[in-house]
Amino acid sequence: MKIKILHKNDVSLRLLIKGTNSAFMNTLRRIVLSEVPSMAIDDIVIIENSSPIRDEFLAHRIGLIPLTTDLDTYNLPEDCTCKSEFGCNLCSVSLALEVEAEDHRITVYSGDFKSENPSIVPVNLKIPITKLAPEQRIRLEAYARLGKGKGHARWQPVSVCAYKYVPTISVNQEVCNSCGDCVKICPKNILIKTGNIIEVRNINDCTLCRDCVKACQKDPKAIAVTWDESSFILNIESTGGLAPERILYAALNLLNDKLNEFLSKSREGN
Amino acid sequence: MIIPVRCFTCGKVVGDKWEEFNSRVREGEDAGRVLDDLGLTRYCCRRMLLSHVEIIDELMKFYETGKRKPVRPP
Repeated sequence: MKIKILHKNDVSLRLLIKGTNSAFMNTLRRIVLSEVPSMAIDDIVIIENSSPIRDEFLAHRIGLIPLTTDLDTYNLPEDCTCKSEFGCNLCSVSLALEVEAEDHRITVYSGDFKSENPSIVPVNLKIPITKLAPEQRIRLEAYARLGKGKGHARWQPVSVCAYKYVPTISVNQEVCNSCGDCVKICPKNILIKTGNIIEVRNINDCTLCRDCVKACQKDPKAIAVTWDESSFILNIESTGGLAPERILYAALNLLNDKLNEFLSKSREGN
Repeated sequence: MIIPVRCFTCGKVVGDKWEEFNSRVREGEDAGRVLDDLGLTRYCCRRMLLSHVEIIDELMKFYETGKRKPVRPP
């Protein structure tokens, strides 16, 4: 298997992976979406809420705020040694929100949360939670825990984890009359006409829609879109709690654990 | 009512981008350009901001009027 990084920044990662199959890629994708843990607010105790937004609406919005995640320090509540419903220091973080509008209208932001652990804080500090009219007040305590995407979407560490085949576009110069119809229809503008030749650039942007083939008036078609079934482009976009490469490592470790468990169980069965 | 925290479809955080989007579009900038600047590339996330109406601002007036001093009869 060969891996090349096509693009990488704090929240997104695009990899070119060669020499694998779609079964493996799909396993990886599904583990990232539903098994890699991340931190989110799970329980809320509302002491006072006189804002125009109702308690359950407020709780839902607060739950969706992504938090910075520390997978090495914190345990999943079901795996934690405390076995407590309320959690302990190793599986739960408390965050407090206490805001009052005095004489003018204010907006309450995710940055107003005060966390007991400074390394577990909202990733985006400017998410509006609610607005408060003069004399309105919010006081609440929230408990964040690790969780998995299969439990609730707020624990999904990514907004996008998707893969596609590596596309190949070939133009048969003997048939092509360079009418330019395929160049015009391409939604990603990857075809260009230089002189009488249709050329391809940024091939990795191709979505395999095959509109260019439909647009070609020649019979047989002068342009063909194919793909390599052993090469993939994997795109991961993190919500910001975990770095995208950390999500990938965590997913691979989880896959490894699952396979080891399968192996030992199948040996026991013999 | 108020801008959703995340995109309904993909789950990207869009809540923190609303205030900048709103003020820049009101100043006359092209909405598509602003969305590109904010890093919203997919159409699911773009429609979250484009189609949003901040009704909470209208609602707030009802909470504020009760606080005003009563108008004196002439």
